[in-house]
Amino acid sequence: MIRLFATYQSVFDQILIYSLLAMSQYVVLRAGTFSVGSAAFAAIGGYTTAILSTRSGWHPALAIACGVVLGGVVSAIMAFPLSRLRGVFQAVATMALVQVVVTIALNWEDVTRGALGINGIPKVATTGWLVLIVAFVVALLHVLGRFSIGRAMDVIREDETVAVSLGMSVAHYQRIAMILSGLLAGLAGGLQACNSYTIKPEDFGFTLLVNGLAMAVLGGRTSVWGALVGAAVLTTLPELFRVFADYRNVVQGALLMVIIIYLPNGIADTLFGLAHDRRVRRLVTGLEPRAAAVSDSGAGSEVTR
Amino acid sequence: MSTATNAILRLEQVCRRFGGVHAVNEVTLSVPAGTITGLIGPNGAGKTTVVNLVMGLLHLSSGRVLLDGADISRAEAPALAQAGVARTFQNIRLVPHATVLDNILAGYHRHETAGFWANLLGLPSARAEAAAHESKAVALLERFDMPMLAEHRAGGLSYGHQRRIEIMRALAMNPRVLLLDEPVAGMNDAEAASLGQIFRDVAAEGVAVLLIEHNMRFVTSVCSYLYALSSGRLIAEGAPDAVLKDAGVVQAYLGT
Repeated sequence: MIRLFATYQSVFDQILIYSLLAMSQYVVLRAGTFSVGSAAFAAIGGYTTAILSTRSGWHPALAIACGVVLGGVVSAIMAFPLSRLRGVFQAVATMALVQVVVTIALNWEDVTRGALGINGIPKVATTGWLVLIVAFVVALLHVLGRFSIGRAMDVIREDETVAVSLGMSVAHYQRIAMILSGLLAGLAGGLQACNSYTIKPEDFGFTLLVNGLAMAVLGGRTSVWGALVGAAVLTTLPELFRVFADYRNVVQGALLMVIIIYLPNGIADTLFGLAHDRRVRRLVTGLEPRAAAVSDSGAGSEVTR
Repeated sequence: MSTATNAILRLEQVCRRFGGVHAVNEVTLSVPAGTITGLIGPNGAGKTTVVNLVMGLLHLSSGRVLLDGADISRAEAPALAQAGVARTFQNIRLVPHATVLDNILAGYHRHETAGFWANLLGLPSARAEAAAHESKAVALLERFDMPMLAEHRAGGLSYGHQRRIEIMRALAMNPRVLLLDEPVAGMNDAEAASLGQIFRDVAAEGVAVLLIEHNMRFVTSVCSYLYALSSGRLIAEGAPDAVLKDAGVVQAYLGT
């Protein structure tokens, strides 16, 4: 029984850590920046944490904080060239960054120990801490999305011409999104290092890039809950599909395709959308006498024909 | 009549070339505060290009644009919007999955003063500001007879409603100059008349309104001065009735 719980606990931890990575991806997608650099910022956060807490003997919390800041600094620098690019070119540029970071991790053996990775990292990122941290970040991003910044990001993603015509600086908001993305991915990397005792370059390569992107898209790109749902689904699926043994990835890939085709807005966004529409319908039905009065008095109803 | 002295917005000898094509050629016009100035012309005459040049979305090839006498020819769109220049678009451009209310609230961007941290942490200053703008947006919705649609998603509404949302978003900016690009296209006379009244009220508050429109009945009913554009050049200007009778204007619209 305890062993069973332990198994589930590690999956649960992984969901929480990946949800931070997915939020890092969500925040740039929401602002209309097609950055896939989260894997690189996670590597920077992870390696900084690992090196400082093992070799330099820093307190792990301080080491993680340094990893977070460094992830944010690198993403802030990256935001400058990215603001001159759009769409798929941003994706290619950030993909190159991931390659560069992973290559450095592989070859700078004196510092990163190369392909062997770094072992013996203190496991301080326990489930309790992870729950607290993720809850804090979700609350922060939820509030951020509700006010002016979230709205500006939505307009920028939808139509940059409209955004600038309303007085919004595209570069400013995309820079905010990139810095948040770097901080969150750095946090995910640092916590990953302090949760799994060990990190190596292959943890942060193309697979992590694709996973982060898939989580954000699958969960939904316009609310922070999408990242949570995406991380939960994509982390538990491989566990559920163990029965398919060698064909696990095939089944998982096929299922993801089905979800993307039938729920293009992602799971959370689709559910929220349905709930919203139902609430509005109920509201309108409740207001029927008033709505009818307005239709009678003016041109309001005529355009709905 | 309109003179340069009381004009809020003034274009002087404005040219814009796309390769060898003169989309806008030596256009000089004034948009005084407190009235609605019309800009007509057949499709492809360069009307929307004029709006894009004023808004800073396109750069001038030559000439200058003045706002209250200050040269804004080189200013970028966000700075102009912050200075109070608002526009609507010929093709509706909203955030379709966002609610009507959120779309209108985007128009208050230039009045937002709560800082980044207030927004990130949901501090009282950010909340108070959001609440104040929301009540103003609801008042706008009531003015446009759409209060019951506040929580609807903009993309699911009819064309006429979406047009109004765009106009409300522009009015939310509390602009000093309002550029309307075919605001009543596709509307019937009753709908156009109710919008016309709103535009007159807005102008009466001291806003300089430039109206681009094909609906001539609407143009003559709201505009106090009219410019006619054809192939990028001004071919007539003056009182609306006179401009519409001008032989050159009739020819431009109907062909020979």
